[in-house]
Amino acid sequence: MSVTRNHLQLDSTRLRRHIVHMAYSGGSVHLGCAFSIVELMATLYSKFIRYNPKNAADEDRDYLILSKGHGIMATYACFREIGWLEQSALDRYFSDGSLLHGLCEWKIPGCEVATGSLGHGLPVAVGIALGLKLKGRTQQKVYCIVGDGEMNEGTMWESLLFAGHHKLDNLIVIVDANGFQAMGEIPAVMNLEPLAAKFNDFGFTARECNGHDLAALEANLRELTETDPAEKPKALVARTVKGKGVSFMEGNNTWHYLRLDADLFKKAMNELGGEVGA
Amino acid sequence: MRNALSDLITESASNDPNSIVLSGDHGYALFDAIRKKHPNQFLNVGVMEQAMIGIAAGLCKQGFRPTVYGLSAFVPIRVLEQIKLDVCYPCLPVTFIGDGAGLVYSTLGVSHQCAEDVAALRALPNLRIYSPCDAEELRAVYRDMRGFSGPSYIRIGKGDRPVVNAAPLESGVEPHYTVAGKAGACLVATGSMVSISTQMGRELGLSVLSVPKLKPLSDRIVAELSRFQEIIVLEEHSRHGGLASALAELLCELPHGRAPRLRAITLKEKFAEKCGTYQYALSEHEMADHQIKGRISQLLGL
Repeated sequence: MSVTRNHLQLDSTRLRRHIVHMAYSGGSVHLGCAFSIVELMATLYSKFIRYNPKNAADEDRDYLILSKGHGIMATYACFREIGWLEQSALDRYFSDGSLLHGLCEWKIPGCEVATGSLGHGLPVAVGIALGLKLKGRTQQKVYCIVGDGEMNEGTMWESLLFAGHHKLDNLIVIVDANGFQAMGEIPAVMNLEPLAAKFNDFGFTARECNGHDLAALEANLRELTETDPAEKPKALVARTVKGKGVSFMEGNNTWHYLRLDADLFKKAMNELGGEVGA
Repeated sequence: MRNALSDLITESASNDPNSIVLSGDHGYALFDAIRKKHPNQFLNVGVMEQAMIGIAAGLCKQGFRPTVYGLSAFVPIRVLEQIKLDVCYPCLPVTFIGDGAGLVYSTLGVSHQCAEDVAALRALPNLRIYSPCDAEELRAVYRDMRGFSGPSYIRIGKGDRPVVNAAPLESGVEPHYTVAGKAGACLVATGSMVSISTQMGRELGLSVLSVPKLKPLSDRIVAELSRFQEIIVLEEHSRHGGLASALAELLCELPHGRAPRLRAITLKEKFAEKCGTYQYALSEHEMADHQIKGRISQLLGL
């Protein structure tokens, strides 16, 4: 089997159920960070990323680099649906000797790069995009999901400068603009706005949309990847809600740190209308 | 050694289309040859050492074997975490060249000097560390790296010290005697200190062992050094974490009474005080050429 698009349409609610299940099983934090990118991940794997469901490392694949490694549970949820992870890996999350860490690890097929220390994924994504260009591999694209808090890091701006200068039009940077970083609201800690304008100034074509609106995400990503000018890297500022999908987590930054107890687990699962393990 | 480095970099590009050199806007004439002969295999990334390491890691994922060049004060010191996470952890075939190590940039001051690179890197898994003293050792380093699929760091110190090795090294990067003197005491040196140590060995009748590969150290080195009663390690690096530390860590595991006594002539625990020539900068650490003989004699009671 080779790489193609549209293997499977991922359902955001199912993905969130996997995340709640993992977070509760492992006593994991970072729920809010995963929930804000669920629709993004679902759209990318459903409609845009060319992959081989039998081989995450297929050399013809598109790349998805999760630079904001804190959202990793959303990635694991997608990989479970695609078939790259077994259900037991999710069930055993954080248990002794288990497979999956709480941040992004290069060893997990499909994860590509070790991130979680912020400001690492985008430079590597830029290197992959440059490497694809140098090898003449024009079919492949590199998607990179970054956090708005992560944009504090100097390496991010170094990478944008480089990508703009080298016209890496196979690179699509997607900002999960959920408005929070670990210790507070973005405008209070380190203002980023106007963010899309900053990307444009760095030589990108930038768009902006609601990061939970599947139709808007698809339309904007399609324009970025299919009709927007060549010779420019692309950026999508996805306006999201941290903790999106579970009422008591939405817009509440403490869910960067909190763990689910039995009651909250049940409440979250009820809201998501499902059972453990989806 | 700089001409040899330029030749080796260019030769690597000629031999392997996947060889690519990244520089953080440093190096200038060092890259004249590769830029002329293989312009597509050299990239001045700009003054962004941190992103440069990630970019090199990304290039590895497309089959490239990048060489990342910088001054040792910046590559590896400024980018230590990038080297750890982006390159050493996935064990990618990146060659780091840290030029001007030690006090080479004596007149520029502390920002460009580097006494701590080996110490900082030695704790990173997967990474090989080399410290060649001249062109022949450097050629041996490149031969050794060719058969290795993980990351390497080459420490390039003062490049215009007198040549030690006149012919290709049959022993490659293994420790090798530049002077085979009397049993008893041995000078163990690396990089920029091998030349002056060799001169001292000849004058004082001491054995001199050059160590071009600092990590992993040769399996033979403990047996070799336990033949001596006294060893003096000479390195243009901090006393902490360099060759002297590495040898002490190994020798202290020998049974009681079997290990040679180890002393070290290294950079001291201080930053540069005043400006001056390379020899002046070394003299602030009692390591100038004219001070070495006295220090060895004093340590050995000669």
